[in-house]
Amino acid sequence: MSGHHDHSHGHGDHGHDLPFWRKYIFSVDHKVIGCQYTFTALLFLFFGFTLMMIMRWQLAYPGQPIPFIGKYLSDDIAADGVLVGDGYNAFGAMHGTIMVFLAIVPLGVGGFGNYILPLQIGAPDMAFPKLNMASYWVYFCGGVTMIASFFIKGGAAASGWTSYPPLSVFASSGQTMWLWGMVLLITSSLLGSVNFIVTTVQMRVKGLSFFRLPFFVWAQLVTSFLLLLAFPPLEAAGVLQLMDRLAGTSFFMPSGLVYATEPQNQLAGGGSPLLWQHLFWFLAHPEVYVLILPAMGIVSEIIATNTRKPLWGYKSLVYSAIFLGFMSFIVWAHHMFMTGMGTTLSTFFQATTMIISVPSVIILTCLILSLYGASIRFNVPMLFALAFLPMFAIGGLTGLPLGLTASDIHLHDTYYVIGHFHYVVAPGTIFAIFAGIYYWFPKVTGRKMSEFLGKLHFWPSFLFINAVFMPMFFQGMAGLLRRQYDQTEQLHGAVAHGLTKMSSYGAWLLAIAQLPFIINFFYSMFAGKKVGANPWESTTLEWAAPSPPPHGNFDKTPVVYCGPYEYSVPGKSKDYCPQHVAQEA
Amino acid sequence: MSTTVIPHDLEPHPLTGMYNGKFGIWLFLASEVMLFGALFSTYVLLRVGAPPGQWPAHGSEILNVPLATLNTAVLIGSSVTMVMSWAALKMKKLGAARVWLTVTFLCAGAFLVVKYFEYTDKFSHYQVWLNEPIKVGEHEVTTIKGHLTADCPKLEVSEKNGAYSVTEHVMITPDAEPGGHAHGEAVKIEASKVKRISNFGPRHSPYLATYFTMTGLHGLHIVGGMVVILYFILTGGSIWKRSQEKYTNRIECTGLYWHFVDLVWIFLFPVLYLL
Amino acid sequence: MNLLLASTQYGSWTPPLYSDHGGSIDKLVDVIHVFMFVIFIPWAIFFGYCLLNFRARPGHKASYLPIKAKVSKYAEVAVAVFEAFLLLGMSMPVWAEYKNNPPASDQRLDIRVVSQQFQWNFHYAGPDGKFGPTNIKLVSASNPIGLVEDDAAAADDIVRVNECHLPVDKPIYMRLTSMDVIHSFDFPTMRVKQDAIPGMEIPIWFRVDKSATTDAIRPQMKMTVPMAKAEWYKIRHHVAAVDHKVKDEVVLAKGADLGVDLKKGNELLDQLRKKGLAELTLEPRNPLEIVCAQLCGNSHFKMKAQVMTHTEDEFKKWVAESSKKQKLETDF
Repeated sequence: MSGHHDHSHGHGDHGHDLPFWRKYIFSVDHKVIGCQYTFTALLFLFFGFTLMMIMRWQLAYPGQPIPFIGKYLSDDIAADGVLVGDGYNAFGAMHGTIMVFLAIVPLGVGGFGNYILPLQIGAPDMAFPKLNMASYWVYFCGGVTMIASFFIKGGAAASGWTSYPPLSVFASSGQTMWLWGMVLLITSSLLGSVNFIVTTVQMRVKGLSFFRLPFFVWAQLVTSFLLLLAFPPLEAAGVLQLMDRLAGTSFFMPSGLVYATEPQNQLAGGGSPLLWQHLFWFLAHPEVYVLILPAMGIVSEIIATNTRKPLWGYKSLVYSAIFLGFMSFIVWAHHMFMTGMGTTLSTFFQATTMIISVPSVIILTCLILSLYGASIRFNVPMLFALAFLPMFAIGGLTGLPLGLTASDIHLHDTYYVIGHFHYVVAPGTIFAIFAGIYYWFPKVTGRKMSEFLGKLHFWPSFLFINAVFMPMFFQGMAGLLRRQYDQTEQLHGAVAHGLTKMSSYGAWLLAIAQLPFIINFFYSMFAGKKVGANPWESTTLEWAAPSPPPHGNFDKTPVVYCGPYEYSVPGKSKDYCPQHVAQEA
Repeated sequence: MSTTVIPHDLEPHPLTGMYNGKFGIWLFLASEVMLFGALFSTYVLLRVGAPPGQWPAHGSEILNVPLATLNTAVLIGSSVTMVMSWAALKMKKLGAARVWLTVTFLCAGAFLVVKYFEYTDKFSHYQVWLNEPIKVGEHEVTTIKGHLTADCPKLEVSEKNGAYSVTEHVMITPDAEPGGHAHGEAVKIEASKVKRISNFGPRHSPYLATYFTMTGLHGLHIVGGMVVILYFILTGGSIWKRSQEKYTNRIECTGLYWHFVDLVWIFLFPVLYLL
Repeated sequence: MNLLLASTQYGSWTPPLYSDHGGSIDKLVDVIHVFMFVIFIPWAIFFGYCLLNFRARPGHKASYLPIKAKVSKYAEVAVAVFEAFLLLGMSMPVWAEYKNNPPASDQRLDIRVVSQQFQWNFHYAGPDGKFGPTNIKLVSASNPIGLVEDDAAAADDIVRVNECHLPVDKPIYMRLTSMDVIHSFDFPTMRVKQDAIPGMEIPIWFRVDKSATTDAIRPQMKMTVPMAKAEWYKIRHHVAAVDHKVKDEVVLAKGADLGVDLKKGNELLDQLRKKGLAELTLEPRNPLEIVCAQLCGNSHFKMKAQVMTHTEDEFKKWVAESSKKQKLETDF
């Protein structure tokens, strides 16, 4: 049997003799796939942001033609350059879908996870390289499907990223494209998550026990379990909605519907609109942690490196992440307090919601206590990572009044909700992603990004992103509802219009603030300062590989001797002890 | 640099006791449990929440239990042959293994053929709901089940929701009554009298919607399994030559998946046909 | 904050409140926000202190050992305890009050609310207190809820589209449903929100404050806007509260509105500026609105109902006048 342990089960040769398309397009190397994910997702991030900037024009100047691009948009979206109601709703639905499923998750998991995780555990690649390639291309097809839906008759899905039936079942065929796109994206995530879990559990190098794993790996592991177990119910829900739309079933259609004064007698009826909401939020609440956990992982790595000090309470971090993952499966109905829920059920979901805030508080506490007694280097990745902390805290705290039913009565479906989850995801996760890009850029390219341009990117971004989202809390307090094509149509929306404009200006300025990043990204790729394997003097295993790592990653398979964050160990000549370096007794 | 050797591609990891592929397939099956779990929950929720009379008291009122029992036996048999194939590989008998695989493949095919007959039977069987009762034979009825006659005008299919509607009239031969009477005469019903018409396809009722969605998705899993099995029947020789262990492992993983697909059917059969 | 939200009496935090249960919701909202600041400010101070004090600089070294942070444990426990208090002490009682113990059927006013794209239909039982039956086959533009009009119970029923009349100081019991998609009944000034879901009928109840008749509220919401800052979007739902005069000439009469759209509105504002008007004194055309909080299609944002609150006597008068049966009798 041992005779078969030769290179035959390797997955082919990836040396320089491979043709371009095998090396860079249909590659099975986790690093190339990681970069593919990152590039594609950054493009989607930009696209989703553009949709939002157009929407913000309509909000700030309702009914006025969109400058510059209005005349190029199709009549389904903008008539005479003015965004129409369906166009606005389609942009809103697609902004949410693209940002969550095509930008942030693929960046945090597909991009960073794919590139960094195998390096951090000392593995030569992912456990199933071909499956890895498949998950990227399935994701890619899902993205193409979503984008293509803008160009079909009736335009893209316009029933919100939540796609509540019956609205979504009555909607135009863009919704069908959305569902097919989601089925592809879910499939991609499932393939990816299987790969991540197997890789993490089975392929850690010698000496790298679970409690020596960098927190980033833990975060990815918990995230993968969430994807693995929470996504299938949405896939089931998607299949059911497809059946309702294409096969005339009534899973989500109750009896006695009248649509546009036409009784829907031809439908069987007997379905339940709330069934969709349960299945959807059973995924979509864990999805929140799929968005935030990789960000926490990235931030932890950067904070440990740049405080030159072990993370405070590493084990609490790990247990909190696991607990968070577990709890996220039993809080979903707090999105549904206004659906006529009685006191028993709402008490349960309020209680679990309050409980789930505790591990988040612990994680944040651990990260901030890590700063005490540190020697903080304020480089660009650290600035983004530090900015993550207070903004994520704001996002978390503002979840409180939404998680309690009584205060949710007033705040449900208002801009307060928008402000809350954007603080978690935009100034939260996206800032962490920027931190990660600046931090690992030298590993991927062998060159460092410009610190000056980085700071020129950070400070305006920090200012303007708060200008975008801070007003939303006040708008929400005033009762301004989300998903309003023209907010001034309602009395309490009209009086809050000043804040709406402020948000819009913030968004456009935020876009300008991204220019230094784009310049920096491409400039540094070709002309950045060349650096060695470990420019940040960090301890984790990815820095033991050359920059950029070759196919197969490590020149020699490393062995791990200590925990992940051994910085400033007393009595050592250097202020960091890499995991792969044996320490003298 | 030239090749990448993936650790635990073949030899089990001491922690899990499994090689990568086996661990991966178990994780995949965990997600499949969630997928079918969500569908079973849907079934429970819709059935419990339905007004009395909307769901049939037993699936057997509508579905063909003997055929499904036969199918159950066929699938269980295919699980056995799948294990036989893996056992043969463990004993280094590639030829026998491929025969067992082929039997498994044929069982799966037989299952789908039976399912095809079950499905087409439902799709050609219609029910008409009437606005006001009419007399058929000696009974006043508000709904008629039966088969459309050959000269019945084509039904119109709504582009919006796939529902059927009647253009001029509908000609339907009512089913024989349970008592054992012969088929009645064909009945002609004007379009204005028809409240709703549907075949016994997914659009008919929440019950049949659930039935078709769940068995359809299960059928897709069978088809997927058949593709994989066929692939390993055809490529068996070359993989076996490169690495016997690898081929054996792959058949083991395929087997795990195949048992899961059978297991889903073991749940589907009583839930949809008997309860 | 008033500056940000436009200088209006409509409010700078939560909107004005005119229901008896809303106070406890507002109180919870306030307490939570105070609590947030109590956590966030010390946290931010500590954060700033760390950044400043532990910045990398020559001669400064990080310490390997973690701080023994008993304080953080106490803080975490305190947060958890306070959250428990918010949940058990405040949110649950308010929610129970909001959801349990509906007002007795002989003391309340029953209204059926049937929502559809993009309107709110209010169905009152009329003087006989009996709701007429409905049938979806009868639904049409002129009979939006499909009321069976020849039924005896339906004869005096009142159906109003996007227009809701409520008595003050009397429990109001609404049964919400929808004919097509999910809508959400949002009455912000009463702190009432509830989804209207097709296939379900969900009750809600509240009581409008005794002093909160529309006629009494409108003057309370009077505001002055300097002409230089007047922007049509912000004042489009307002009307002139007084006669606006420039040198004894009335340029904007009391009750006049400010243009039906942006173009007309801007023209009017320009005219007024040219004539030398210094400021506008305005009040809302209708201070109370019911809006839709759940995305329900392309005109979701337009789905709103005007609410008129009356004293009990005025309301009875309105019912009498609006009910067809009553009308027939008076015709004789």
